[in-house]
Amino acid sequence: MYAIAVHGGAGAVPRASLSAERERAYRAGLEAALDGGYAVLERGGSSLDAVAAAVRILEDDGAFNAGRGAALTRDGAAELDAAIMDGRQMRAGAVASVRHVKNPIELARRVMEKSRHVLLVGSGAEEFALEEQFTLVPNHYFRTAERIEQLEFERRGQRVSDLVPPAPQGTVGAVARDADGNLAAATSTGGLTNKRPGRVGDSPIVGAGTYAKNGVCAVSATGHGEYFIRAVAAHHVCAAVEYRGLTLQQAVHELLHDILRGLGGDGGLIAVNRDGQLVLEFSTEGMFRGARDARGLREIAIY
Amino acid sequence: MSRRPPALLCLALLAAAAAASAGAEPLIAIAIHGGAGVIEPSKMTPAKEASYRAGLAAALDAGYAVLERGGSSLDAVTAAVRTMEDDPQFNAGRGAVLNHEGDAELDAAIMDGRGPRAGAVAAVRHVKNPIELARLVMEKSPHVLLVAEGAEDFALEQGVVLVPRSYFRVPARERELEEERRAESARQKGTPTTRADGADGNSMGTVGAVALDRAGNLAAATSTGGLTNKRWGRVGDSPLIGAGTYANNRTCAVSGTGQGEYFIRQVIAYDVCALIEYRQLSLAQAAHEVIHGKLQRAGGEGGLIALDPAGDIAMDFNSVGMFRGARDSRGLREIGMYRETKGK
Repeated sequence: MYAIAVHGGAGAVPRASLSAERERAYRAGLEAALDGGYAVLERGGSSLDAVAAAVRILEDDGAFNAGRGAALTRDGAAELDAAIMDGRQMRAGAVASVRHVKNPIELARRVMEKSRHVLLVGSGAEEFALEEQFTLVPNHYFRTAERIEQLEFERRGQRVSDLVPPAPQGTVGAVARDADGNLAAATSTGGLTNKRPGRVGDSPIVGAGTYAKNGVCAVSATGHGEYFIRAVAAHHVCAAVEYRGLTLQQAVHELLHDILRGLGGDGGLIAVNRDGQLVLEFSTEGMFRGARDARGLREIAIY
Repeated sequence: MSRRPPALLCLALLAAAAAASAGAEPLIAIAIHGGAGVIEPSKMTPAKEASYRAGLAAALDAGYAVLERGGSSLDAVTAAVRTMEDDPQFNAGRGAVLNHEGDAELDAAIMDGRGPRAGAVAAVRHVKNPIELARLVMEKSPHVLLVAEGAEDFALEQGVVLVPRSYFRVPARERELEEERRAESARQKGTPTTRADGADGNSMGTVGAVALDRAGNLAAATSTGGLTNKRWGRVGDSPLIGAGTYANNRTCAVSGTGQGEYFIRQVIAYDVCALIEYRQLSLAQAAHEVIHGKLQRAGGEGGLIALDPAGDIAMDFNSVGMFRGARDSRGLREIGMYRETKGK
């Protein structure tokens, strides 16, 4: 039984402001990522390859807040974070605050596979990328007209969602279980629009926005990152399953609706358990998401 | 009643008196560490040992003094960690280990068990006391983690005076870096399967503190220079909430030290608290399970200090030693370095 879920961010997504055309574009992007990841699983590939493939597709899609089309800092630059975790040996790799890496998820994976470290940040991470023969791209590669406009609105103190077509504020991510039972999770983001340079959210922090442990669960989160960090959200879900015997659904529900709500934060997450059961849940108005498994499930949803 | 042996009556009275005084005066406690696996006992001279003990005692007493005068656990852990950041023998602040480029590159985090709230900085090079900047991130920004130049820009906005990189460099660390560079080039003559970068350095000595104040609030703080000869903006567990630092009034406060990558993957600090909350383990059992069970099985080395709302302290490690100290209002005051605790 193999299964995959993807998300393209959670947040306030007023239905009225999302045009039919834009909605189609988001759905198409989610579908491409979901099917891209699923195809890996279908041909017997690993969950690690599947989540990397799905996230890379969302990074390359200018509509989502990761890779190209990422939200811009208050300096007008894209500053990207990503993490990947392999539930097999609980190996993990992550990068934060990189500005010239086309696919941060691939660099995160390289950190996991080719260094002894887990987290590399800033220009040091890009030095590692160069040593690993990554081709760096100029920062303007990431900047889309829509994100520049969004930044302008934010700078003027206006709510973006009222004025420009909403774009997912969150993050992109994927979780998967492959036919061998291995779990993996991956998350990539540009963070908050108008963020302070150097601000790092939950996505690249193992245990906060990304976590995977074979036999328990894999989680990728999106939402108000600081709250997910304080709650050690992704690990909390797995600890609730492992230590208390909660179902994945119960664990996710408790985290989002009791713990994060109690702290004052909202967002969403996708998770998969040892049996390949998928949970996609959020406490926000919407979450761009998709799920597919070997039993024939295949769905894309926003609200 | 009158037939009760006097000795027993006496004991009962003593117990009652102890209970009454405990009720009147809530317990305060603090534990600190100055790193695990720092130095082999065979390489330790009596003078060095005395100097480390004095440094640990100064930090322990500085933190305890805050608690004793009714200060918060947050202020206590800040004071203890700042004392060790300023002491060049520890791997944090001045005297931190040097990275590949020969500079100190510092990480720190603080967490307030109330809330809980947290602040952290990573890869800063010009901040004299990273723990104070981490605290400013918690108190003066909506964020938890700021890194590198962005974190230093925030420091300037907050009126923190930056210091030149030379402030942090001390001769002993420059020698260590030289040794590590030589060892690295020797290793590279072999056929490494992964990129070698000196992660085996002998300098795992992060500093940290956990405290419980009279109001029953827990706090944790950790500060480090990371690994000698580290490269590529490597960040360890210290500034990552849940990995090297965690505090929650409901369960416990933890500060870790050791091979950071293992602490990140295992979400070590939070796991201690999760085991207490969900498996009903005692603090000592949870610390033992995490260090000698999970960390050990994964092949990692290090230790942690932990404190729970009842004032129980755990200081556990699977390395040769861990520089540590503990003090509470029941009269405990100890400094330890290796397996057996020496001195009081």
